[in-house]
Amino acid sequence: MSVGASDDNRALVFQLTDALATWLPTQRWFAAKDRPIARVEPVSVAVLHHREDEDPVRLEHTIQAVSFADNGEVQLYQLFVGYRRILPERLQHVRIADVQEDGHWLIAFDGLWDDELASSLLPLMASGETRNGVQFATEPGMSIPKVTSSRVVDTEQTNTSVIYDDAAILKVFRRLVLGTNPDLELCRALRRVGCPYVPGLLGSIEGGYAGEQVTYAMLSAYAVNSADGWSMATASVRDLIAEQDLRAHEVGGDFAAEAYRLGEAVAAVHGDLATALGTSSLNSDGLVALSGAMSSRLDAAIAVVPALAQYAPAVRTAFEAIHDLTPPVPVQRVHGDLHLGQVLRTPTGWLLIDFEGEPAKPLSERLRPDSVLRDVAGMLRSFDYAAQHLLLTGDSDHQREYRALEWTERNRAAFCSGYAAVSDFNPAEQRTLLRAYELDKAVYEAVYERQHRPAWVEIPLRSIARLTQQLT
Amino acid sequence: MESGHKNPPRKKPIEGSHVTDEGLVTHPKAAEYRHAYAMPVEPLWFKRAVFYEVLVRAFYDSNADGCGDLRGLIEKLDYLEWLGVDCLWLPPFYDSPLRDGGYDISDFYRILPEFGDIDDFVALLDAAHRRGIRVITDLVMNHTSDQHPWFQESRRDPDGPYGDYYVWRDTDTGYPDARIIFVDTEESNWTFDPVRRQFYWHRFFSHQPDLNYDNPAVQEEMLGVIRFWLDLGIDGFRLDAVPYLFEREGTNCENLPETHSFLRRIRKIVDDEYPGRVLLAEANQWPSDVVQYFGDPSVGGDECHMAFHFPLMPRIFMAVRRESRFPISEILAQTPEIPSSSQWGIFLRNHDELTLEMVTDEERDYMYAEYAKDPRMRANIGIRRRLAPLLENDRNQLELFTALLLSLPGSPVLYYGDEIGMGDNIWLGDRDGVRTPMQWTPDRNAGFSQANPGRLYLPVIMDPIYGYQAVNVEAQLNNSTSLLHWTRRMIEIRKRHLAFALGSFHDLGGSNPCVLSYIREYNPPDGDKPDIVLCVNNLSRFPQPIELNLRQWEGYVPVELTGRVPFPPIGELPYLLTLPGHGFYWFQLSPREDAQ
Ligand SMILES: Nc1ncnc2c1ncn2[C@@H]1O[C@H](COP(=O)(O)OP(=O)(O)OP(=O)(O)O)[C@@H](O)[C@H]1O
Repeated sequence: MSVGASDDNRALVFQLTDALATWLPTQRWFAAKDRPIARVEPVSVAVLHHREDEDPVRLEHTIQAVSFADNGEVQLYQLFVGYRRILPERLQHVRIADVQEDGHWLIAFDGLWDDELASSLLPLMASGETRNGVQFATEPGMSIPKVTSSRVVDTEQTNTSVIYDDAAILKVFRRLVLGTNPDLELCRALRRVGCPYVPGLLGSIEGGYAGEQVTYAMLSAYAVNSADGWSMATASVRDLIAEQDLRAHEVGGDFAAEAYRLGEAVAAVHGDLATALGTSSLNSDGLVALSGAMSSRLDAAIAVVPALAQYAPAVRTAFEAIHDLTPPVPVQRVHGDLHLGQVLRTPTGWLLIDFEGEPAKPLSERLRPDSVLRDVAGMLRSFDYAAQHLLLTGDSDHQREYRALEWTERNRAAFCSGYAAVSDFNPAEQRTLLRAYELDKAVYEAVYERQHRPAWVEIPLRSIARLTQQLT
Repeated sequence: MESGHKNPPRKKPIEGSHVTDEGLVTHPKAAEYRHAYAMPVEPLWFKRAVFYEVLVRAFYDSNADGCGDLRGLIEKLDYLEWLGVDCLWLPPFYDSPLRDGGYDISDFYRILPEFGDIDDFVALLDAAHRRGIRVITDLVMNHTSDQHPWFQESRRDPDGPYGDYYVWRDTDTGYPDARIIFVDTEESNWTFDPVRRQFYWHRFFSHQPDLNYDNPAVQEEMLGVIRFWLDLGIDGFRLDAVPYLFEREGTNCENLPETHSFLRRIRKIVDDEYPGRVLLAEANQWPSDVVQYFGDPSVGGDECHMAFHFPLMPRIFMAVRRESRFPISEILAQTPEIPSSSQWGIFLRNHDELTLEMVTDEERDYMYAEYAKDPRMRANIGIRRRLAPLLENDRNQLELFTALLLSLPGSPVLYYGDEIGMGDNIWLGDRDGVRTPMQWTPDRNAGFSQANPGRLYLPVIMDPIYGYQAVNVEAQLNNSTSLLHWTRRMIEIRKRHLAFALGSFHDLGGSNPCVLSYIREYNPPDGDKPDIVLCVNNLSRFPQPIELNLRQWEGYVPVELTGRVPFPPIGELPYLLTLPGHGFYWFQLSPREDAQ
């Protein structure tokens, strides 16, 4: 049935304002759990789906502005609220509250978990509809699959993804930022140039707020039968560590061939990003600014992880070495947060996903062109993580540490050779800049681990020790 | 003769081919022999069959001459029937100078004398058919031995009736784009013949000249050979080295259209005159190329019924060593659909080396490093070892590999002795290391032969782990937990579920790359209940969890197939299983009401 603006004015979500103030902080993706909420306010509402029969259902799209008692920055959250008279057992865990419609009670819940409601989004995308400012669109030349079932990915922290059959995956951004999300922007650009190393972008949901474009969700081809790089790599490390006396290249679970192909894929994506969105370069001022940004990050990090202080002089020296590079240093749009968890192995090869950039950084910084070595460093750090984290559990001895380092070195080298085989340079040869990016990443990791997984903080700290030792 | 056939008393025919004084090569006729008891015609039997490759020489010696023979094989048919074998594949048993394991045939109409004669062969067919076992054999169509009378006549008399039976040239420069296959021994595909003073073409060894299929007489000769054996009652042929029959300048001389049209001709003869017999192509190529040998899919296939899936096998080994399903998932994803009347043949090991032609250089180095640490274990482009030593005799891996063989799409081909975990002898030359006598008992000569041990065609395996005293059929028959009993049970389970043989294949993926899981589903055309089997394989040596997305089968109950234990029903959440290192499960998915 068709829905008009008058429906939007009578949307049921207006009844939920109080309920959301208590419900939102219980959601995994809610980013301000420790800030008391002052007010929750709908700033955009659109009815997307509405069926009136003996089993009425309804889906409303809304953006809620959350203000806090601390008078700090207001946050915007996106919800797809579903309504049903009877909520099946399996949807109880996403119940929000009860609302009334024409004297009947309806239960409001997170509609993305409901097969019928989640599936109702795709036809809107296929026909390119707009509902009270919510714009559904199909990417040029692509088609939206017809699907029969959906399920929510249960592991995400910041967003909510819905998988439709085994055909497509809809990534719904929960906390909205003004401006086009880099994930959508870069996937669009890569689709335009036909990059085979990312899942094909199929469609999008976008809108506007305060005069700015806002990305609500993006639909990509689902990579069936995929596994992420992290689980592949750790299977290999496990194999090595169980084999005390064998070297990394002698163990059956050797990962180097995969690492090489991964290097090829990353290089190809970089090449495609450069083709699609251009390149520029850093002059000497730019290099000074880059090193300055790294140094300030270090200063801030020492406040959180005092153990960093002992390495600070050496790390700073590594950052300052950037000044001596001969400009211009080429920069371009990059992935920004590349690691083994952001790559999927499929039966035909590797795919890169999640081009949002480092989540902690403000959007403006995430859009800034950077050296491709930023991504390479991210991946190299990730190899180190994969090897080291298995040493955290179980008694680590010198033998195992030695093997783990060997694994890391072997796979880092393989990755760089794969990269070099596709691009025109071997990243391992750009020592100064690569080391600075690696240290910058490790400093970031130290802070992250101190705040989230204190037992892991040793991993970046040990790497920093190693990287700075190599310097002298 | 143990057959109950009432054959008129007859004169024993003269065995084999003969050259007349006029230089004509004459051949015996099938009508001169008894024909075997015919099994009922079942056109698609090969899709459900479990094949067993058995070397006549290696199986059982009935006359104490140190060499296995056809009569010996007859004596062991009860064992093969017990094991659950549906079809025997015999590598060539034709008369041959044996410079290439019998693939160098010197007379298509004569059995290698040490194996017996044609009457013995008919007796084998007869006895096998009475047990419901079919028999196929290799037919080498591409070439003959240089001892074949056709070749001898061809070199002697270029203008005689056989002058044009082979590919002769004045120079050795033709077909430069054809690769050399046996790179270890051959430098060129051309060899100079000092008698005829010309070069002859050979894709394999220089003692195996290629037949000239552009000569219609050669085509007729080979059709005659095929009819001869089909008339005797054989159930089909494995057509050896099919891609190479024709050669054309400017091509790599493989898979040429002329080759395909000749195969269509053979298939038509089989369909019209010998329904229910099977043609199995040996084409060691990528599945996407091999599918051509099934022929036109719009008519269900009009060339070979079966073809070996070569690249799958090294990938199974690679996947388990790398603890990653992707080597297998990858190759199966690249495997195209095949015509409705076709089937893949899949195997773990056979009488040849484990061929690594279908892998990249990097993967080949990897396979050598993992599975052929000793250079003696390598041969040409491959590894010459048996299954058990390849897997370091690890029972869990042996079971995992066998379970994969019996559940991946295709008809499984077992290699004799692998069902008891026989070893190999890497000190024997060429590929003989995997062709040693079958180990029947702990007695002298492994119970294979009554001959003096020094007379055996190859010594039996004697090392402490794989030697016949440790590994033999008798001991394993007496032990219900043996590999032999286990293998038999798995074959039996496979045969109870048509999904394994005829079902579609659906790779389930999953977030754990160490686990390969798939659904085989068969929907009978008569609208009967679908047969759905779920196979889950842990390729890692460590225990692994796996969450499977089985929503499509919500409400179904997985019933484990070896013990019929029902597992918790499939809900809408991912289905969680844990597997021990190298463990696997086979489940039937039954609607809840059927699972009681
Ligand atoms: N195209 C795809 N095909 C298959 N799986 C995918 C695809 N895109 C994402 N995934 C899987 O979905 C999950 C979430 O993807 P992604 O990393 O993009 O989300 P995210 O919201 O950034 O995650 P988080 O919130 O945890 O940072 C991952 O486990 C990933 O493996």
